[in-house]
Amino acid sequence: MVAPDGSLRRARELRFSHPGYDRNMLAQIGGQGWLALRLSEDAGGAGLGVSEFCVLAEEFGARLAPEPALGAIAMSRLLRGQDLDQCISGAGVFIPAWRETGEPDAPKTRYAAGRVSGVKHAVYMADGADAFVVSTDSGAVLLRASSPGVRADISASQDGGNIATLHMNDAPAELLNGDMDEALDELSLATSAYLLGVIGVCVRLTLDYLRERRQFGKPIGAFQALQHRAADMFTQRLLLDASIDAAARAVDAGSESHSQRRAAVSRAYLRAVEASLLVTREAIQLHGAIGYTDEHDLGLLVRKALTLRAVAGSAAAHRRNFATSAGLFGATENAA
Amino acid sequence: MNHAGPIARDENDLSDETFRDDVRAWLAQAYPPELRHPPRRLHFDQNRIWYQILAKKGWLAPGWPREFGGAGLSVSKQLILAEEFDAYGCARLNDMGIIMLGPLLIRFGSEAQKQFFLPRIMSGEHIWCQGYSEPGAGSDLASLKTEARDAGDHWVLNGQKTWATLAADANWMFLLARTSRAERRQEGISFLLLEMASPGVTVRPILTVDMHDEFCEVFLDEVKVPKENILGEAGAGWTIAKALLGFERIFVGSPKQSQTALSKLLAAAAKSGVIDDSVFQDRYTRLALDLADLRCLYERYAGIVRRGEPLGPEVSVLKVFQTELYQRITEYLLEIAGPEAACFERPGEGVEATPASIFLQARPATIYGGSNEVQRNILAKNVLGLPT
Repeated sequence: MVAPDGSLRRARELRFSHPGYDRNMLAQIGGQGWLALRLSEDAGGAGLGVSEFCVLAEEFGARLAPEPALGAIAMSRLLRGQDLDQCISGAGVFIPAWRETGEPDAPKTRYAAGRVSGVKHAVYMADGADAFVVSTDSGAVLLRASSPGVRADISASQDGGNIATLHMNDAPAELLNGDMDEALDELSLATSAYLLGVIGVCVRLTLDYLRERRQFGKPIGAFQALQHRAADMFTQRLLLDASIDAAARAVDAGSESHSQRRAAVSRAYLRAVEASLLVTREAIQLHGAIGYTDEHDLGLLVRKALTLRAVAGSAAAHRRNFATSAGLFGATENAA
Repeated sequence: MNHAGPIARDENDLSDETFRDDVRAWLAQAYPPELRHPPRRLHFDQNRIWYQILAKKGWLAPGWPREFGGAGLSVSKQLILAEEFDAYGCARLNDMGIIMLGPLLIRFGSEAQKQFFLPRIMSGEHIWCQGYSEPGAGSDLASLKTEARDAGDHWVLNGQKTWATLAADANWMFLLARTSRAERRQEGISFLLLEMASPGVTVRPILTVDMHDEFCEVFLDEVKVPKENILGEAGAGWTIAKALLGFERIFVGSPKQSQTALSKLLAAAAKSGVIDDSVFQDRYTRLALDLADLRCLYERYAGIVRRGEPLGPEVSVLKVFQTELYQRITEYLLEIAGPEAACFERPGEGVEATPASIFLQARPATIYGGSNEVQRNILAKNVLGLPT
């Protein structure tokens, strides 16, 4: 997954291609058993927790792996039979589609009698999908990409991947068992962890540069103004790490209430949003002009962060969710 | 196990949860209600009663070994005690003798020093203050100039100490003074124990910008200090003073200050009605999120402490983030307070601090305990490995 020289060459080469990732690599990831990470051992999975999911996601992030693996892992528990086999082997590509305009509390996409209608936005890495796992008013449904009444309008995303608007017009779909909200919470947390991996590389590249780059007769990292900015980047990375870790442990332990777990997931995601903005922005500044070029790997990290922040959720909605779930303004949900 | 004193059972054998419950229950019946959530740091004549209650309970010096009158609590239990005291709004004591000097005496003191000083700290007979900073030596403490001249059977002190917290309440001061002109300036520094009543000691309170006489400057003019009132060897003062940089460093990064300020912000918003405003709610939520993440990071370092592992220099991030969050919260409090932010009450007049006072009291947090600029220097050099 990583070039022998440690660079992000593979991720760079896959940019703006179809489907924007390497299907063979997805199958290799499946071959490692990683896509079955969240399945119980009875169901043929690894029986691991969200904490381990986050560790894997961070490693993917550090390599800018474009394969749609996180969605597959998060959605796997909703699938059965052959679809499940296809998903966890990486032979099939299963993409979650859950966002709608206006961030409604409940999906407006309708499902009834085996048919689904509605519009999903910000469907990330939809190009080449075999099927979509779609949230609806009746729960999660499985929608084959080749079904009649399905149209995906695909555009390029900043990271060189793609993002689609999915139109469903009375399209045949199958109702799935399982809690899509929980699966999406896990995906949100894993995405935060992927961003943690991106941030980690950003911090490392920046520190390396501060040590090597010389101006005014000394390494620029000897200048206090830059040292302090580097310290603040590092602090944000640590905060995100601790926030994700605590949230993942809360989900795994299941000890807190559902709303507290949701609050923790939103909290970690919002830290990922803030930390990734601060760290990538500072990384560009501390690199100077070279940080503004496409040739430098930093740009790949910056644009991945830009993309994930935009597709993985609305910060405003997560803030509202946190405020409500944590009972900040006297809401009673905390007692639930 | 048989231990003398009021402690019938070994608290270290209790589960953390049981111990925490015990502490809470005890506070509810034993803590003086009028001293809860004091708006400012209290003087010894105000918090003496709490000092004595703790001494009677055996929790005055949680970390000291029992043979010296301490509670001998594990680090984990000490942390719980501190967290519960904070949560209940307990007043901070004149605790320099307990948290700073005591551990150093136990580690570096002679048998005679331990026998003389430790019981007097426990009884409240000796109240200590710290004499480190000088007008010309703040962040660069090693540049201190106060001099202790060797005069045979005693030292003669000359110089000036400043920012000595609650020094006017204290009858003893531990201080750093130069005893020789060593090539490496840290090596010429010694750790002396000074009785404040000695001739030549003048204490002058300094009013803070919040009009509180919390600090003092202390002038030392030909002050005689008996030869035996030195801790460790002559010239070992710098090493001794730095030996305290242990797990205590986690306290300055504890979420307590920010939590308290955030509660005050919410209360002020409820009072003014702005709490229902969506702009307020969004900004408040952002601050609450920062606090929640700080808590996650704090818990990580507290876990290191509980496992008895050493805290690395990385823990400086807690101090930096906590104190700056604390300040941001108080800045927003000023904004929502409106004209009330202009109001002034003398210390002691009101039950609660005014918004302006809360804002002002947050200012020194980024200065003391190693300024945030120094903390960032430490992070850059000792954690991130950036060049000098």
